[in-house]
Amino acid sequence: MAEIIEPFEFKQCISILKSTGKKAKDLRELRNVIARISDECIFHHTYQYFLKGHILEYTSDFAHWAGETLEERALSEHLSNIDPYDFKSIHDLRNKLLEVIDNYLEHFPEPRQAIPGDDFFFNETVTLIFPAGIRAKNLAEFLTAIKYVDAGSVYYHFFEARIRLGGGIDDFSRWVEDALGKKELVERIRSVDPFMHDLEGIRRHIAEAVEEEVKRDMEVIDRCLTGM
Amino acid sequence: MFDRYVGISPKSDLLLLQLLGAKLHNRSFLHINSTRSGGGVAEILQRMIPIIAELGIDVRWEVIEGDLEFFDITKKIHNALQGNPEKFTEKMWQHHYEINRKNAEKLTLDADAVIIHDPQPAPLIHFRKRGRWIWRCHIDLSNPQLYVWNNLSRYCKKYDAVIFSVSKFARAMPVEKFIITPSIDPISEKNRELTDGEIQETLNKFQIPTDRPIILQVSRFDRFKDPVGVIKAFRIVKKYNECILVLAGSPATDDPEGEIVLNEVKEFVNNDPDIYILLLPAFSDKDINALQRIATVILQKSIKEGFGLTVSEAMWKGKPVIGGAVGGIPLQIIHSVTGFLVNSAEGAAFRIRQLLNNPEMAKRMGENAKEHVRKNFLITRQIRDYLSIWYSLENKGKSIIEL
Repeated sequence: MAEIIEPFEFKQCISILKSTGKKAKDLRELRNVIARISDECIFHHTYQYFLKGHILEYTSDFAHWAGETLEERALSEHLSNIDPYDFKSIHDLRNKLLEVIDNYLEHFPEPRQAIPGDDFFFNETVTLIFPAGIRAKNLAEFLTAIKYVDAGSVYYHFFEARIRLGGGIDDFSRWVEDALGKKELVERIRSVDPFMHDLEGIRRHIAEAVEEEVKRDMEVIDRCLTGM
Repeated sequence: MFDRYVGISPKSDLLLLQLLGAKLHNRSFLHINSTRSGGGVAEILQRMIPIIAELGIDVRWEVIEGDLEFFDITKKIHNALQGNPEKFTEKMWQHHYEINRKNAEKLTLDADAVIIHDPQPAPLIHFRKRGRWIWRCHIDLSNPQLYVWNNLSRYCKKYDAVIFSVSKFARAMPVEKFIITPSIDPISEKNRELTDGEIQETLNKFQIPTDRPIILQVSRFDRFKDPVGVIKAFRIVKKYNECILVLAGSPATDDPEGEIVLNEVKEFVNNDPDIYILLLPAFSDKDINALQRIATVILQKSIKEGFGLTVSEAMWKGKPVIGGAVGGIPLQIIHSVTGFLVNSAEGAAFRIRQLLNNPEMAKRMGENAKEHVRKNFLITRQIRDYLSIWYSLENKGKSIIEL
């Protein structure tokens, strides 16, 4: 009798924007607000940038604003190189952001101002998590599901899980490890760099890895036959 | 009604709507504004209320009544909040309050959640019975006449939350401030799929040729929409590409400037046979829809804009849109992905030429544009957000809520 496997329950999340009422018109103001704004606000402008599904020109709202609005290209490159998943806490991430901006201000003490209306607006979010109504009982079902679940679900399980559960591990590879014990697939999923792909890219890479595994599982009999 | 959005709206939005509908089942939800028809707020409420009702929520829509003086005052408030200097007396504020007091006597304000739209009914908060009260501001408050805002914000501060359309329209206030962008209805007359016959009907009506690409801007004849800039861009493009320009807009009867701007535009056109100026009567939704569907490139070259929902309407038809980088337009147009943002007539001309010469790029951008609208600017997302805010206020203090 087949072993009973804990199914994978797809969930997803949406975020409603909340204004903090704070804004910055130049780099010094940006720095000063970053220093004292809520953790939720820093989280939104860094980790949740990936939920937008934008092209990967930048990797946070701070880098985006520095590049597009202030046109401080070098600074935006420095900021874009900060990988939020490298940090254990928002406190550490905040300090890194401040370090990069302070360093830039030391060399370029008079950065330009944004034109009125193009200020940086500091926001937070309220996030609602809900079941996507999809459950995968085996790897083949998982493969079908990962191809068509909403991008919000990919975000929730691949990006948000790293913070929610700590340890920087996504939900997909955790399930493959705990429920299926497929170590090679676990490694392949964990080797997908969250910082280097948009949500559709992540979806594609995971689907490819899982598809290969499913094919290999199906081809066992063929291999037996050719071995005869 | 709800079923008509299946296959159009993102399934996650529809799923969440049903989940929130179950959580808020039979609870009462009241919307109040100042007009039953005319204007964007009434238009979206008309379409939104039946959908919310279908989710099992006991929803009502009430409209406050006022005399001419009241609406004259609220028009002035509206203009002053958008930055125009207006004269106000204490008597005017008293009248604003008094009319709301009289409405409060007539209306049943008892509800689990109440959304008050715009400044006209804002003082109703004084007559709150119970429930969560939310003030929904559809206006750009980024640069108001402060004496007017200070007077109005006496009321706004008393709400449990306020909602603005865009971060930059918001003001610092000691209440929860949510950001919810406006939306379009994909099954309305302005946005629904049209048959070839229906499109042809419009083209015949206005005698628009289809042997050359059509460049289109749909907007009121208003200087902020820069119709002259659009014509300048078109003239640059014409040196290189065969095309026609269609400027379609309703004559703004309530705007004396409209007539002046229209005459300026006509003079600038100087009987150019390749420029079509269409004066569309009110309720020309199907014609606008058809024009957007037949156009090759759509412009919204505004130099000042609110949210600019006509951009989303055009994008929904799978068209690349070239828009001025102002107001809410950059939220809709992701530069080089879902369209192009421009800052001058020359910039617009260059992007039009790029799109005319690269149909593949135009097609890809149009597809991206439609997807961007599907994910972010459909009515189902806006209802989802309203219900989410109501639900989050019931779970106050939590930034993560699991349903």
